[in-house]
Amino acid sequence: MIPAPFDYVRAESAEEAISLVGQHGDEAKFIAGGHSLLPMMKLRLAQPSVLIDIGRLSDLSYIREEGDQIAIGAMTRHMDVETSALLKEHVPLLAHAASHVGDPQVRHRGTLGGTIAHADPASDLPATTLALGATYIAQGPNGTREIAASDFYRTFFESALEPDEMLTEVRVPKMNGAGWNFQKFNRRAQDWAIVGVAAWRNGDQAGVGLVNMGSTPVLATSVAAAIASGASVADAAEQAAADADPQADLNASIEYRQHLARVLTRRALEAASS
Amino acid sequence: MHRARVRLRRPRQGGDDRRLVDYVGVRSRQATQNVEGSAKRLGLGVSTYFEMCGLAPSRVLASLNYSAGGWEAATVRILPTAKVQVVTGTSPHGQGHETAWSMIVADKLGIDPGDVDVLHSDTTIAPLGMDTYGSRSLPVGGIAVSMACDKVIEKAKQIAAHQMEASVDDLEFVGGEFRVAGTPSKSTPLAAIAFAAFTAHDLPDGLEPNLEAQVTYDPPNFSWPFGTHMCLVEVDTETGDVDVLQYVAVDDCGNQVNPMIVEGQVHGGVIQGLAQALYEGADYDSDGNLRTSTLADYLVPAASDVPSITLGHSVTPSPTNSLGVKGVGEAGTIGSAPAVMNAIVDALSGLGVSDVPMPASPNTVWNAIASARRSQPDPTTPGGTQ
Repeated sequence: MIPAPFDYVRAESAEEAISLVGQHGDEAKFIAGGHSLLPMMKLRLAQPSVLIDIGRLSDLSYIREEGDQIAIGAMTRHMDVETSALLKEHVPLLAHAASHVGDPQVRHRGTLGGTIAHADPASDLPATTLALGATYIAQGPNGTREIAASDFYRTFFESALEPDEMLTEVRVPKMNGAGWNFQKFNRRAQDWAIVGVAAWRNGDQAGVGLVNMGSTPVLATSVAAAIASGASVADAAEQAAADADPQADLNASIEYRQHLARVLTRRALEAASS
Repeated sequence: MHRARVRLRRPRQGGDDRRLVDYVGVRSRQATQNVEGSAKRLGLGVSTYFEMCGLAPSRVLASLNYSAGGWEAATVRILPTAKVQVVTGTSPHGQGHETAWSMIVADKLGIDPGDVDVLHSDTTIAPLGMDTYGSRSLPVGGIAVSMACDKVIEKAKQIAAHQMEASVDDLEFVGGEFRVAGTPSKSTPLAAIAFAAFTAHDLPDGLEPNLEAQVTYDPPNFSWPFGTHMCLVEVDTETGDVDVLQYVAVDDCGNQVNPMIVEGQVHGGVIQGLAQALYEGADYDSDGNLRTSTLADYLVPAASDVPSITLGHSVTPSPTNSLGVKGVGEAGTIGSAPAVMNAIVDALSGLGVSDVPMPASPNTVWNAIASARRSQPDPTTPGGTQ
């Protein structure tokens, strides 16, 4: 429960943070809310030698309308995502999914950018933004670039971010009145999902993101393709595990996870279609 | 499908007679809901128990090859300030001995519970005693405290009789003072006797100063608390998820010294048993490594994961001790695990499930349903008939 020794520096701006990570290289980690990184450090699953604290970059905490998208600063806390009137109006699936993260204390500390950059396949919001077709903005020493959510996740805790890049913004398309639903299946209220499903549907368009169904958040493209080709929800949901490669753990066998993905996807799409 | 024949009757000696479970109504809801094709099925679990508590007559323990006796020691000491010290050999670790023992002593001596100090858990001050286990603290240790109070009162009565120039047999001890029977105007408070016992200026010949008594009590029998728990669950047969809709526990621990402590004990016990039924398990891999080695994996439920509990009680005093008490430390745990498991099996009986292992995790329940379906390819019998 005691982390390995590390140095600590506080960045006062995004530019300074990127410069600091450039100096310290691979051994440095950004820390925002710290609610994923610190537990891993305490278990010594992560042993960064330098923590670059970006907790005071309040100019990265915002939720604003930009045309047909909502732009969310990386330092926006889950609680602000959950309660944002703008998100409730235009991206209600994301606001609702944020309410399922951890407990209120976690949601007041944890940040949207932090959970996405952490790239934990068992977290709720990476899969949700993936289902919504989000774009992530990364800032590096040479400027910014856009990364599609579908290109972002590589494997457990690994993303397309370069070591000297920082995630600064998440852009989510407005849902334009699409039906939506979020299913989180767990044994205790505060646990990670055994399987989670974030789904939206608008006519023959649909998006389904799966939580904890593999080494990355999973976009269930086969389900969306089935809906687009006119399949019933029940038939489309049968494809829910087709794009996933889940693992077994204490809570679930592989077969059970695949089954849960099908059941929860069907329920989510039924709710999103009604 | 279990069938329970429920007889509703007014408890003979005390307690409440509310109807806490609409048994017939639940069975009727089950018959409607648990039909072929229904994803969510209702199950009602019943468990009844009685338990051997209040360990125990020392000779009986000898016959069971216990290495220790089953007695408990208590000392009651009235200080010259009229504050009372109680030394108990049962060591509390959250069971509320300090409160309950203070109430027993306050009741016996006619004083305020706040004037009682309960000393425990240190062999420097309480070297004699056994333990807190087997729901024995109150029916053994509590009786020792009560008997030590009686012994102190008897000694105080001798001093009171001497000072009031009355016969010991004519004195009665009521409301914290000694009175001459039939002459209520003539009374001496216990506090005055305590101070007189301390100064020792005017004691009966041969009587030792101070008011202190020690009792070691070896119970003549175990105590036998009993109860019935009922649990209503809804099982999602697609996911294996178990939702506890209603939980009712009716326990009979005899007379209750402090009903709030009784409630707390039953609540904690029910949750412990429910946790064993649904969450907690020691899981090892094939190499013998414990896989549930952290609290993130060994699932202790939090408040948000457990149901509200409805409590009822009947009161059948123990005939073998002076307070009529039986102990309640384990009541909830004994009743709840089987009530929860019986409810799950009841919900799934129409699918051919006759057993579900503990802990009944969603994956485990789903496996049990899948296994029953494989062995019964055409399950058409709806569950939930009365």
